[in-house]
Amino acid sequence: MTRKFVGFIGALALLVPATSPAQTAGASRTRAAVEFLASDRLEGREAGSTGERLAGDYIAMQLARAGAKPLPGHADMFLPFEFTSGSRDGGSTITIRRDGQAPQTFNGAVQIQALSFSDDAQVNGPVVFAGYGLVVPDSQNFGYDSYAGLDVKDKIVLVLHYFPEDTDAQTKAALARYSDLRYKALAARQRGAKGLLIVIGPRSPNKGETLRMSFDTALSGSGIPAASISGPAANALFASAGKSLEATQQELDSGNPHVGGFALPATVDLRTKVVREKQTARNVVAYLPATGSTAGIDKPWVMVGAHYDHLGRGTHGTSLATKDEAGQIHHGADDNASGTATVLAIAGTLAGQMRRRNIVFTLWSGEEIGLVGSNAFVTAPPMPIGQMGVYLNFDMVGRMQNNKLVAEGTGSSASWPRILERANVAAGFDLRVLPDPYQPTDSSSFNQAGIASLFFTTGSHADYHRPTDTADKINYEDLDRIVDFAAAVTRAAADADMAPQFTKVDPPATGATLAGVRVTTGTIPDYTTEAKGLLLAGVVGGAPAEKAGLTKGDVIVEIAGQSITNIYDYTYALELLKADQPVKVVYMRNGQRLETTLIPTPRR
Amino acid sequence: MTLRIAICSLLLATTLGGVGAGLHPSTNARGALSQAEGQTRPPEYKESDFLTRVRRLTVEGRRAGEGYWSPDGKQIVFQSEREPGNPFYQIYALDFATGDTRRISPGYGKTTCSFFRPGTGEILFASTHHDPKSKQFQQEELDFRASGKQRRYSWDYDTEFEIYAYSPGGGGPSGDRRGGPSGPSEPKYTRLTNARGYDAEGSYSPDGQWIVFTSMRDAYNRPRSPAEQKQLELDPGYFGEIYIMHADGTGQKRLTRVVGYDGGPFFSPDGKRIIWRRFDTSGLIANVFTMNPDGTDVRQITDFGAMSWAPYIHPSAQYILFASNKLGFENFEVYMVDIDGKKEPVRITYADGFDGLPVPSPDGRQLAWTSTRGGGSDGQVFLAQWNHEKALEALRAAPDRGVRPR
Repeated sequence: MTRKFVGFIGALALLVPATSPAQTAGASRTRAAVEFLASDRLEGREAGSTGERLAGDYIAMQLARAGAKPLPGHADMFLPFEFTSGSRDGGSTITIRRDGQAPQTFNGAVQIQALSFSDDAQVNGPVVFAGYGLVVPDSQNFGYDSYAGLDVKDKIVLVLHYFPEDTDAQTKAALARYSDLRYKALAARQRGAKGLLIVIGPRSPNKGETLRMSFDTALSGSGIPAASISGPAANALFASAGKSLEATQQELDSGNPHVGGFALPATVDLRTKVVREKQTARNVVAYLPATGSTAGIDKPWVMVGAHYDHLGRGTHGTSLATKDEAGQIHHGADDNASGTATVLAIAGTLAGQMRRRNIVFTLWSGEEIGLVGSNAFVTAPPMPIGQMGVYLNFDMVGRMQNNKLVAEGTGSSASWPRILERANVAAGFDLRVLPDPYQPTDSSSFNQAGIASLFFTTGSHADYHRPTDTADKINYEDLDRIVDFAAAVTRAAADADMAPQFTKVDPPATGATLAGVRVTTGTIPDYTTEAKGLLLAGVVGGAPAEKAGLTKGDVIVEIAGQSITNIYDYTYALELLKADQPVKVVYMRNGQRLETTLIPTPRR
Repeated sequence: MTLRIAICSLLLATTLGGVGAGLHPSTNARGALSQAEGQTRPPEYKESDFLTRVRRLTVEGRRAGEGYWSPDGKQIVFQSEREPGNPFYQIYALDFATGDTRRISPGYGKTTCSFFRPGTGEILFASTHHDPKSKQFQQEELDFRASGKQRRYSWDYDTEFEIYAYSPGGGGPSGDRRGGPSGPSEPKYTRLTNARGYDAEGSYSPDGQWIVFTSMRDAYNRPRSPAEQKQLELDPGYFGEIYIMHADGTGQKRLTRVVGYDGGPFFSPDGKRIIWRRFDTSGLIANVFTMNPDGTDVRQITDFGAMSWAPYIHPSAQYILFASNKLGFENFEVYMVDIDGKKEPVRITYADGFDGLPVPSPDGRQLAWTSTRGGGSDGQVFLAQWNHEKALEALRAAPDRGVRPR
């Protein structure tokens, strides 16, 4: 282990700038770390990438320099976890059979590609063309159902990609929201179809091309094999239909809902094969042991953390790069080299001080793809959850303006306001204090686990999730002030007689964020699972789900008659719910299939 | 929105929650502005010209306000609702060197309006804790809140409010923290007033020998006409007058005799003048006045035709900081005006909601004030660096007031 450690220090020496945090006392304590982590060499630190590994190595080295140690029982500071990083087609094929004709088989990416959310399956059956495969709920005051009058049960459905091309803007807008391929797959599956084929129609952009498999962070199949096929493959299906695909599309493009689908005189054998690529990313975790015995001390572990991963070149996930910036390195200086540098500097500050509790420094990977690293940590914690006192999270703390620092999640413990007030007497920030602990960052994982947590940030900005989030734009002077403040808050928690008591917060019931969802159920989905159905990471206190008796760990498999295999199904199902109208929810708990009634409330 | 800042130097009448209804047109901010536009435009400023490194001082608890500096500038005393079981303000002193906050008041009853006594460790404040019903009122207020009901904002002119002087236990020196309520020796509370009716809003003279304060005793110590009786039920603040007494509570003497709420008095830095604010009989319009400590030579300083109140004289004695809702009935901002009120006041704060109760530090380089800028409708104490030079420059550049915009 020692040798290996020395080895990577040697390798890093080539990479690390001449100044490192430890060497520049007097100068900024955060700049060197931010500049290194946000440099081109680390290529945006995408989870599982080489850049992320280099960042992790650097972080471990800095923690070791500060005097932090691997957790008890661990040989090093790395806590690896597995995640699905992407998917590719593993050789899907389609064979088309028409009466009196020799079967035609299409394979290869030009002819057929499974969709990223497709199940791996082999199915065969007759084919039904279902127009654009659109179903607009009646709730939208806009009726449109491509399946009206069609029987697709146990059949394979062929639909056009997108939505009718020639309609007015308002109709387009109404239809566009339901044209997502996941939604089309859901609609087909719920009508009993056993397979879905998508074609880009002759009158649409990129006509006849198959769809490249996209990155999909919710990592389970949609419960139906689904593939995009080429123009020639679609034409083969239409060959004996009496009218061409193009003529059919033209009729549909007027947006006339009365243009129906029809059975095609063909059967197909469809085999979809999706290879989901697993990768390993690493949380970096180390600790400064208490300076005395922790025997008898309430909750002897205090945690301080930040995520260090970012978006790589933004090809996956949630890049907001403009067209001109697409594919460039997303440096993530503020998001979240700033928080990482803060945690490293806190370690340096606290290393020389007395402390009653063990202070753990946790640098997460996989945050940008859904809090995967911190979730892995609380799911398989290296020490019992009940022994963890608090978690302090730093995410995007490098762009302070007008002295404003936001502390979110103060509702998670009654102790926070006093601790913050006291620490801020010396620090002097214009603190904005928000009680809601349900935040899109790693502190949520801890709040869900019942640990008093806080999330500090200086807020979002125009460079958020863009390649322009660079190290030169960081406000280092104020970032260093945050380090001192954070160290004081950490010490207050680490030295308290009683660790801050966790309080469960009932957050504002905002529910899902999709525009079409008009109700809230108070469920908190676990985005980091491959379970079939919707695994609940928690329920909002006092909200409909809690009232219905649902709780953390339940897996919702059906709501209001809609089967649910994943978060997308669930979101679409929510669109159909009406406030104050009770719906049946079927869920799995401890392997048992249970039912309850849930009454959604209006979204605020 | 209901403004939920409570305030000693201002006791906003019951009207504050009822914006619009009954609001006299002349108090309308936009009306006042449009008149001002007809005159020479004064130079325009932004908040950061005068206030830098704005910071929130109080975080704990539901609300806090009215921060007053210790004479050495090392502590600040303020009122805050921050302990379970008591929904009313208690008085706390915060030590800048340690970050420690200690409670000054007994912990039960209602309190307000604290002030350090120069040259001693004493702090005055108004309290109702001697009222046997104190804890009952606390429970009633907690129950009311739990019921989810809302009431209009109104300051509570509890007739039991009396002025007390706190001294640290063991008669320790100024700033002796051992003297706090949790310390080894109990603090001493000396009751200084004993008149039926609200006695509060007290402050010491710079030499620590005198206290100016507000009392509504005039409503109770004589027969009332039917009209006065009705007025008392509607708004006891109407009877508020300024009084002066020795620091030991002796020699209480009335200084003002004008109907409408006179309150929030403070001494000038040399102790030779008293500054306060006077409401008209409607309780909607207030202006800043100064007078001699014997009540003579009364001079009106402001005339916005709005609610201008909570004045405090800068230690340089060259200008006055105050708050006004000139720009909107619930949009209070801090202003400053030259000591004689000869020029147009200059706006200091630029934030939505409430900014008021400005108190400069003894060295004149910082400002403490109460603001809702942290979010929500409840105030907290904020601090900022105060640019005295820029303030003087702005006052020099301010146009003469000329015809009063009325």
